[in-house]
Amino acid sequence: MSVPAAPRPADDSDVVMSCRVRLARNVAGMPFVGRSTHPQRREALEAIRGACGTPEATAALVAAAGATGTLAWVDMPSMPARDRQLLWERHLVSRTFADGDSPRAVALTQDERFSMMVNEEDHLRVQVLRPGNALRSAFDAAMAVDAALASRLGFAFHPRLGYLTACPTNVGCGIRIGVMVHLRALRLTNELEKVKRAAKELHLAHRGFHGEGTDATGDWFQISNQRTLGVTEHELLEVLAGRVVPAIVNWEREARRALVERQRLLVEDRVHRGVALLQAARLLTLDEAMKQLSTVRLGVSTGLVGGPSLDVINRLTIEIQSAHLRAADPSIEGDDDERAVRARVVRAAFGAA
Amino acid sequence: MAAPFRSCDHCAKPAVVHNTVIVNGKVIEHHLCEEHAAAVSGQAVGPVPINALLGQLAQVGAARARGPTCPSCGLTFHDFKSTGLLGCARCYDTFAATLVPVLERAHGGATQDVGRVPPEADVALKHRNEQLERLSRELAAAVAAEQYEEAARLRDMIHALRPQAPGAPGAGGAGTVPPRGSAP
Repeated sequence: MSVPAAPRPADDSDVVMSCRVRLARNVAGMPFVGRSTHPQRREALEAIRGACGTPEATAALVAAAGATGTLAWVDMPSMPARDRQLLWERHLVSRTFADGDSPRAVALTQDERFSMMVNEEDHLRVQVLRPGNALRSAFDAAMAVDAALASRLGFAFHPRLGYLTACPTNVGCGIRIGVMVHLRALRLTNELEKVKRAAKELHLAHRGFHGEGTDATGDWFQISNQRTLGVTEHELLEVLAGRVVPAIVNWEREARRALVERQRLLVEDRVHRGVALLQAARLLTLDEAMKQLSTVRLGVSTGLVGGPSLDVINRLTIEIQSAHLRAADPSIEGDDDERAVRARVVRAAFGAA
Repeated sequence: MAAPFRSCDHCAKPAVVHNTVIVNGKVIEHHLCEEHAAAVSGQAVGPVPINALLGQLAQVGAARARGPTCPSCGLTFHDFKSTGLLGCARCYDTFAATLVPVLERAHGGATQDVGRVPPEADVALKHRNEQLERLSRELAAAVAAEQYEEAARLRDMIHALRPQAPGAPGAGGAGTVPPRGSAP
């Protein structure tokens, strides 16, 4: 049986949802966040805000990051718990950063292509985010942001160890280059080991949907460099963008093709059941929704079902999380309400009543 | 509050004597019935003299405090071991000896940065390298001219300028980078 060629978008978005380049920096001459008193943390926050705060500085940073619009500063302790969680669900802040009450703030552009956490584990965590596989552009933007910041702030730097970070595992370049990839087919064909082995050989980390210590909900994996010392930023970029990500993308595409070619009926069955379930369910847990969306995504990316689009599915994986649902529908009180609203949001996206 | 039931360490009878001793910093509990307590009385389970106990506690305390304390932020080795986080830039020099294996494990054997440097450090490094080159030329000339006092002076200057392993005496550390405070 002939199989239609699967769509292969230029930005690899059939496999790669997004890519991120993150930098860890500390303000020179101040104790790291963990050893800082609240007044010292406020001082660090003011130093960073001050350095980025003038209209010209902000404009320069936003332009360097390749983002658009203004840079909004959000004071975390004064945010309601739901909104902090919402930022975490969008991968804009870490869990510990969202939960803490000491002086801390996040700055972000509306398009989320650029954000900064101030007073996480390090004084400054910069994040440049791009949809799809655009690692090189994200990397260039992160380097430009770093240069713009360094012209206004002195960073803790050691002639032998490079950029100093609170955790010795980040010292040196203080950089994490990573992608969020959807590996549904590799999981179905039991080939994830291949990815894990390659990651290990190249000193890369593979983590779940929400990073360190989380599981691969919906078959989403984050792959990023682990080493930051004894290697240049460009070498790390080449390992990720030049070798690992293309290899993973090809493996996943190959596994998808093989599945559709050899077990078409089985895959079609799963995909159509997934669509039917998501169109019909009145109550959905996050776990069930993520699982079914993953299978449907496999069907859409291989052309077995027409819709919804990959963009819509990607958006759903973010927006069916708890804080997003509660922000969209403030009438939610208990878990049952939440599951009902989740099912409604999914049905609407699938064009069902 | 009644102690929870425990049987004797040596038989099934209920224990009536409970002793906690600290031996070489290890806490050891003994639970004995009347007979076994009587049998060993005055020996191993006898009450530990208070001085010996305090001495052992001090040993435990010393073991905990072993290792350096950062003169800049006050982080102890124990703090570092329990959180895995350093407290300030100076800590990288303070805990250098411990950090080397940590860095090697985390970074595939590497202990030296080769990545980009901030512009001001870049300038500082270039400046220092130029100075080092000039001093090296002068040192060679002094040695050739058998001006040994001058050569020794130059050698000390070179020694002071050269980047060293973190923790080595006179290591420049983060202090070689101009401190924060450039106006926004």
